[in-house]
Amino acid sequence: MEQNQKIRISDPTLRDGNHAVAHQLSAENIAAYCKAADAAGVAIVEVGHGNGLGASSLQLGEAKTPDHIALAIARKNLTQSKLGIHVIPGFATIERDLKPALALGVDVVRVASHCSEADICERHIGFSRSEGVEVWGCLMMSHMISPPMLLEQARKMESYGAEGVVFMDSSGHFIPEDVRIRVETLVNGLGIAVGFHGHNNLGLAIANSVAAADAGATLIDGCARGFGAGAGNAQLEVLVAVLDRLKYSTGIDLYKMLDASDLAEQTLMKEIPTIKSVSVVSGMAGVFSGFMKPVSRIAKEFNVDPRDIFFELGRRKIVAGQEDIILEVAKELAQRAQKGNS
Amino acid sequence: MKIECQERTRHDCLRVLDGRDNALDALQKSELVVIGGTGFVGTWIAEMVAALNDAYQFEIKLSLISRSTDQFVTRLPHLANRADISLIKSDVRQMGQFPSNADWVIHAAANPDVRTHASNPLDTASVIVDGTMSVMRTAERLSRLQKLLYLSSGLVSGAQPETANGIAENTQGAPTPDASFMYPNAKRFAETICSAARVQSRIPVLVARPFSFMGPYQSLDTPWAQTTFLSDALRGHQIRVKGDGQVVRSYLYGSDAAYWFLRILTAGQSGDVVNVGSPIGISLQDLAKEIAKNFEPSPDIMFNTAPRSVGRSAKLLPDTSHAMNEYGLSVFTPLEEAIKLTAQWHRLQAS
Repeated sequence: MEQNQKIRISDPTLRDGNHAVAHQLSAENIAAYCKAADAAGVAIVEVGHGNGLGASSLQLGEAKTPDHIALAIARKNLTQSKLGIHVIPGFATIERDLKPALALGVDVVRVASHCSEADICERHIGFSRSEGVEVWGCLMMSHMISPPMLLEQARKMESYGAEGVVFMDSSGHFIPEDVRIRVETLVNGLGIAVGFHGHNNLGLAIANSVAAADAGATLIDGCARGFGAGAGNAQLEVLVAVLDRLKYSTGIDLYKMLDASDLAEQTLMKEIPTIKSVSVVSGMAGVFSGFMKPVSRIAKEFNVDPRDIFFELGRRKIVAGQEDIILEVAKELAQRAQKGNS
Repeated sequence: MKIECQERTRHDCLRVLDGRDNALDALQKSELVVIGGTGFVGTWIAEMVAALNDAYQFEIKLSLISRSTDQFVTRLPHLANRADISLIKSDVRQMGQFPSNADWVIHAAANPDVRTHASNPLDTASVIVDGTMSVMRTAERLSRLQKLLYLSSGLVSGAQPETANGIAENTQGAPTPDASFMYPNAKRFAETICSAARVQSRIPVLVARPFSFMGPYQSLDTPWAQTTFLSDALRGHQIRVKGDGQVVRSYLYGSDAAYWFLRILTAGQSGDVVNVGSPIGISLQDLAKEIAKNFEPSPDIMFNTAPRSVGRSAKLLPDTSHAMNEYGLSVFTPLEEAIKLTAQWHRLQAS
């Protein structure tokens, strides 16, 4: 392998991790972690509500730290790292959310949609591009469509002006071969960079990230201690170490990254993400990792097995934003069980 | 439209016409119709016709057919309000009103915006394919028609072969037949419709294959390299190069392109196919540098999202031997000059 191939690391600890604490990261949390990640030399630090800019709401969970405060604090504490945001059109509007965010000094905008809905990103990508910031497209739940279809959607994002496309294994469903095929398809079919964002439901987030790098991805996401939705993300400090062993260059100081991860463990999270039984099931079923908490809660309420809920959600191809269906599924499973017993 | 900007585009046309107006003599006292006439190409043809009429007394009557005539009137009153230019608002697929005395027709109707191609491939195809069918049916009824020039695309032959210096008109190849390549595939099929119209209805149609252009009237909102680099620089941002900057393209200035189209229309023989573009390639990295030179302070150039490898052919250049040898055409405005003129025009327009 070519020596010292560069991999940019994008760190959504303060965004994806927000899912794991019901979006309750505080301004102090953000300041401290940004300082630590910046010192470690992380290329991009992503900040915000778990569902991105403008997503704080009753339905998705209200953020403890509003966007404008979170971004202002992050900006103040990032000197060498770039400040990134996750933007899902619909949750985030250009006028209300994106313009003020850019005014606060955001460097990297990642405009995300469900993997088959790239069309909704056109205006947000175009606007960000015209404002001169770095803009990426993100295709979430990418296991739900085939590699050729993923390429079609990525090409849309490229045509809208994205400088790179990240495909997200939002439910931790992929195995390394799945990732390799997708990265190769995207690298060969696009004229822009390719990135990967992995979740750890099947314990493969690091292996999948390495497969992505080996296949030609140049941007990889990782979170300190894996702090992220569901079973967590690719564990950043491990990823940095593994990439180092494989002679990839991330520009990150390992000791300082380990320090940042220790800090994250001590200050950001109530519990370190682990692969719980339901996480394995959600990964198998291909359901968004962020559903773990509501599924567990609703399963208890209806006295049904959360694993059955996950498999049913997977069968119905439910995606983030369709949380209401969890209730419907749990209710149906409970009724079915009742009929079976009577 | 600012007076200084109008003067500049007029000067661009006169510079190109100087000593070359005779080559367009066939247009004198004739009626020219441009379908899709309010886009970049149509606007430059209108500028060229206005220059021919004002400076060389050609007495050409020009009709521009477009869905966007209202915007044209607002943006370009100096052209829209001329007595020798008529605007007809119509969709190319349903042209009710068409100048029946047309001597020359240029069919340029298509949306070149890659964002529309990506989001609405079926509509993209419909405008091109159904539009071309509609134009050919209309042309059957034109008793005075001397020639019809169809503006296809330099992309119809697919990727440029690695070993070739440019794509010639007879280069064998085709775009990948999937939705991402609807525009070139539809253009390719539209060329076949033109061929069929020539065979079946004896319509004197020839084809021009445009490559990349640059100049005033090109919207800086479009996500092409030359427009985004200019837009970045004009806004005082760093110039962000997508990919590794090694992709090679070429650019023909707007007034040059307009002259090329009129020359091919009048001098070409039915059935001919001619590339329209500059054969002189430039990497996007160098293009960004050339554009940056025109601004003070010079903007930074960023390459930080380069893919590791590019699977597609990095070059797309026309082989213009045919245009040069058969039509006496060449690049009249060197790229450095084209960039300078374009940057100055946009700066003036924005000031």
